[in-house]
Amino acid sequence: MNWLKFVAIPLVLTSAVVSAEVAVVVHPSNAVSLDQAEISRLFTGRGATFSNGSKATPLNLAESAPARAEFDSKVLGKSSSQMKAYWSKLVFTGKGTPPKELGTDADVKAAVAADASAIGYIDVASVDASVKVIGKF
Amino acid sequence: MKKSLIATLLCAGLVSGNAVAEVDISGFASVVGGKVLSGEGVPEFGLEPTFLANYPIVGFYEEDWSFKPDSKYGLQISADLAEGLTATAQLVGRGADDFNAEFEWAYLSYALNEHWTLQAGKKRLPLYYYSDFFDVSYAYLWIRPAADNYTWQIFNYNGVNAQFNYQVSDWTVSGNIYTGREDDTENKLLSEFFGSQPVREIWKNIVGGVLSLNRDWLDLRFTYMTYQNERYRNGVQVTWDGDDARRGKFAGISANVDYNNWVVLTEFNRLTLDGSDFDTYLLSAGYRVGQWTPFVSFADFDAEAEMHSTTSIGARWDFHSSAAFKVQYDDVTDDGIDGQMVAGDSKAITFGIDLVF
Repeated sequence: MNWLKFVAIPLVLTSAVVSAEVAVVVHPSNAVSLDQAEISRLFTGRGATFSNGSKATPLNLAESAPARAEFDSKVLGKSSSQMKAYWSKLVFTGKGTPPKELGTDADVKAAVAADASAIGYIDVASVDASVKVIGKF
Repeated sequence: MKKSLIATLLCAGLVSGNAVAEVDISGFASVVGGKVLSGEGVPEFGLEPTFLANYPIVGFYEEDWSFKPDSKYGLQISADLAEGLTATAQLVGRGADDFNAEFEWAYLSYALNEHWTLQAGKKRLPLYYYSDFFDVSYAYLWIRPAADNYTWQIFNYNGVNAQFNYQVSDWTVSGNIYTGREDDTENKLLSEFFGSQPVREIWKNIVGGVLSLNRDWLDLRFTYMTYQNERYRNGVQVTWDGDDARRGKFAGISANVDYNNWVVLTEFNRLTLDGSDFDTYLLSAGYRVGQWTPFVSFADFDAEAEMHSTTSIGARWDFHSSAAFKVQYDDVTDDGIDGQMVAGDSKAITFGIDLVF
């Protein structure tokens, strides 16, 4: 009986999440274009360079930022829990290190604006001229 | 000796006041309780009803509630020494060992380039799919990878490892090749569970490799390892047909699918030791419903006289961003003959929380 309740509550919570658009951003001087698969590769540690061969530094948002769950689900196709399980496998076997996490959209914008190799994502509403949008999801 | 040397080197690296070192501390923990609901034990060994949940560390449940067999914590310290060099140590304490912390991993890593990394030190042997992250239960579906598959008494090695990672069109091609040895002066499984005399177990001339192919929802893994086994029981060298060493060859294939909300996990492995085959396989399926993933699983071990399997049903609940609750029911059938029973038939319930930080 209680069991059913446990199952039902998470279902309601999951469907109640409001979606907002996420903008993937790079330094204004970065001329790359990336599709979803290439972005996903950078944020899952499967690739470390942009398509032109230059180094890429992915920057994640902290889980407390609303755009994080949006990005994980729309771009990576996973829940934040699944991503955490994925990274814990790599981190504790010496096979990878997750992208650095920043607290807010403003932190990501500041970091991306200051680093030509950076790639991050923020809520579309937070976009301004300090960064260049290369995709919206 | 070797262990403490590596640990000392790592610690020296960590505290030498290297101004550029960036030290990361992360960890994992599992608190799991359970009990045998019913079981036969093995009367001829005088064994009470027992569910052997973890062979190598001899973690087993009996008819009273216990929170030790599957509980553990791990602390990883990783120092980025810049220019591609990293020192990593992982301390693991397990309930089955009264939570005494030991260095389970202690290695130096050097990134040669974007694709290749060299490592040296003490690591987990990457035999089965889940071998090298066996302790990090948060990273997989069940309370533990199937006990019937993960039975081998040696799970670490000291040596060198080269790992690679390439992108080939839509496939991520990664893996590693490794060589080394392990000398376990008092092997827990052989000394305490499969015997009552101290057994020193040596796996030497270990050479192995892993190849993983991933794309979207498909994950394929191939593994191979060969080693020479030497053993001393009560200080006296064990011989096999007059030889004081025997060769083992381990091969395995794993195919995992994560498609929409379905998860299908499989692995098939064979160890050939001195001409005898030890076959294991695991088949698991789960379906994600929001934060819940109910699953069913079947695992089997088949050798000439040792035969056992486990049917499991359970669920994982990702109730928190860094923690998961799991509950699992395991039904073990032990069909061992000629004195090759392990722990007899059993039905057991276990539940607990896994977390990472």
